[in-house]
Amino acid sequence: MDITEYIKLVFTDYTLRTITLGTAILGAVTGMLGSFAVLRKQSLLGDAISHAALPGIAIAFLITGAKDSNTLLIGALISGLIGTFWIRGIVSKTHLKSDTALGLILSLFFGFGMLLLTFIQKQPNANQAGLDKYLFGQAATLVESDVWTMAIVTGICLLVMLLFWKEFKILLFDADYTKTLGFNTKTIDVLITSFIVLAIVLGLQTVGVVLMSAMLLAPAAAARQWTNSLSVMVFLAALFGAFSGVFGTAISASQNNLSTGPVIVLVAGVFVLISFIFSPSRGLLFRQIRFVKNRRDLELHKTLAFMYNIAETHENVSHPHAIKILNNFQGYTKGTLQKLVEKDYVKLTGNMWSLTAKGFNAASNLYNQQNETDE
Amino acid sequence: MSSAQIEIQLIASIVAVACAIPGTFLVLRKMAMISDAISHSILPGIVIGFFITHNLNSPLLILFAAFTGIITVVLVEYIQKTNLVKEDTAIGLVFPALFSIGVILIAKNANDVHLDVDAVLLGELAFAPFDRLIINGADVGPKSLWIVGSILLITLTLLITFFKELKVSTFDKGLAASLGFSPAIIHYGLMSVSSVTTVGAFDAVGAILVVALMIAPAATAYLLTTDLKKMLVLAVGFGIFSAIMGYWVAHWLDASIAGSITTILGLVFLMVYLFAPSKGIIAVLYREKQQRIEVSLLTFLLHLKNHDELEERHVKHLNEHINWQKVRSKSVLDLAQKNNMIHIENQIVSLTEKGDAFTSKAIDYIITNRDAQIEDMKDDFFLFRG
Repeated sequence: MDITEYIKLVFTDYTLRTITLGTAILGAVTGMLGSFAVLRKQSLLGDAISHAALPGIAIAFLITGAKDSNTLLIGALISGLIGTFWIRGIVSKTHLKSDTALGLILSLFFGFGMLLLTFIQKQPNANQAGLDKYLFGQAATLVESDVWTMAIVTGICLLVMLLFWKEFKILLFDADYTKTLGFNTKTIDVLITSFIVLAIVLGLQTVGVVLMSAMLLAPAAAARQWTNSLSVMVFLAALFGAFSGVFGTAISASQNNLSTGPVIVLVAGVFVLISFIFSPSRGLLFRQIRFVKNRRDLELHKTLAFMYNIAETHENVSHPHAIKILNNFQGYTKGTLQKLVEKDYVKLTGNMWSLTAKGFNAASNLYNQQNETDE
Repeated sequence: MSSAQIEIQLIASIVAVACAIPGTFLVLRKMAMISDAISHSILPGIVIGFFITHNLNSPLLILFAAFTGIITVVLVEYIQKTNLVKEDTAIGLVFPALFSIGVILIAKNANDVHLDVDAVLLGELAFAPFDRLIINGADVGPKSLWIVGSILLITLTLLITFFKELKVSTFDKGLAASLGFSPAIIHYGLMSVSSVTTVGAFDAVGAILVVALMIAPAATAYLLTTDLKKMLVLAVGFGIFSAIMGYWVAHWLDASIAGSITTILGLVFLMVYLFAPSKGIIAVLYREKQQRIEVSLLTFLLHLKNHDELEERHVKHLNEHINWQKVRSKSVLDLAQKNNMIHIENQIVSLTEKGDAFTSKAIDYIITNRDAQIEDMKDDFFLFRG
């Protein structure tokens, strides 16, 4: 199946269209809200919340006995919120650290959820089959109404975010200042956290409990590398998230036996990897290039300064010297010498070098500058 | 109890002990989430190891998977070192990616691998007694019992041998380094033990329960004591108790053993979290309330000492003057009266001699901030004890 054919299929085939749209919207909303989670150093909160949502799903099913995805999601939302606020309670009221609190809530809630799930499986209710799809998610079960729910929630998130943009932003970067300005930080905080929980719960059906945290983190971590502005970061994260959804769906649709959730997570991981390496200002590649360039510049300056020290002792600055005497000097390479020649600082005649007047000037200025900065 | 039941409880208890020991140090070193990362990211290691060895219980597979766990730690640390993202983000990025690879590997080779994702998450403790280790035709017990048993033995040996080093490096990294214990060796040693334990326990109890067994008993014990040895013993105790209780709950509900052990762990934690004597939530809230009242009382006494005018000391006036609610001022008045600090005549409050002396002392303390001043006040005053 080639690409144009696939794209045509996306627009005509009901299932594929629904899934692609669903994962794209999901990626966008998690990327958007994930930016806040990442910047608030709550990256692993997503992991804890998504695990903590599991018992909520099971209990909602036990109460209603039906597998309506909306009621299950409400159950997930409630238990996710309970988990989140319990984590806060542990961190603020006891001396246990946040990592312990996260790990505790994550594993305990999840274990309890699994107990309920296995308990439900033994019940004589034919409806129960498929509840375990919430573990790893199954994008194929998405129907149009699910996509509508996602779209509506995304719309609400976007609206609230635009309304409270200033508050969110200031709380993110300077919580104390926000408080002194008279904002109700607690309310804003609860608002952001609740939306993060909401985004996670939305994704459970598609990506599943275990991998949902990556959906929250990866697009945001990738977007962070390209910009220092919050609005650009949120926008980029939404974009990366949406593309991870679309590409992930495409890849998993083109192969047998590939579940959508893990593929989407891996695609998002590729985005992160690319961003880590190739981002112009922070990326590892350009950082290395800058590093090498700086070292070369330094070596060039060192060589020039060394030559200047030799030339200084002669009346004629352009008095030729043997290249050999440079050999003992660390930082000298043929390359640097060649560069000095290119800059017209040095003249080469045979195996002798001589400083030009321009080179001497540059070197003495370099020397002065160094003196100034030393003082 | 059939012998299978005893064996299951034995395996569960041994796993609980083997997990509680490294778990205690992980919690103390603020690296609890690393265990979550390891437990997820060993999945591809287990799958690939299985392709090579075709035996889920082979020691080679355990080593291979444990190696993946260490790779996770190294990767996380590498990403942290680049300073591109914060520490916790690094953890959150690495393990879902590795876990996804594992899930995809299982799904792609579903026909060749007798592994399914549910078993990975939950383990198959109920089936553990069926997989026997047979040496020279003699049945010496379930394989997983031997595996977790040897892991526990190694862990215990390492713990006893390096207890001092572990202790020092956990609480004072600088001191440990200056004493000549390499922090890196201890760090990676602990990580290796955690990885091996996770992998060994993984088969029996699944990825999530490993995390629960590592973190929950240690965290529960940490709420009860600040002594490392006591904490280890308590954590081991909580682990064993939950393992055995959990088994019987699962038996009764006919549900997953791993899930019910975790649930019991959760309940134990909840109980301790609520009722621990000095660090439980009820104790903390009570103490905070006491301290609030005591601060109010002190403010009130200072106010009395500063004002001789009758109208400043009228009961009604106090309400308005210090801006307290009725209930609060009444409770503060009662407390002061009960302690013979004040006496009230015709609605006029004045300090008694005891109250006067007490207030002077308190002022002394506030001015000098020297501890000696309050030593004898501590008996009747909660506030200064913390």
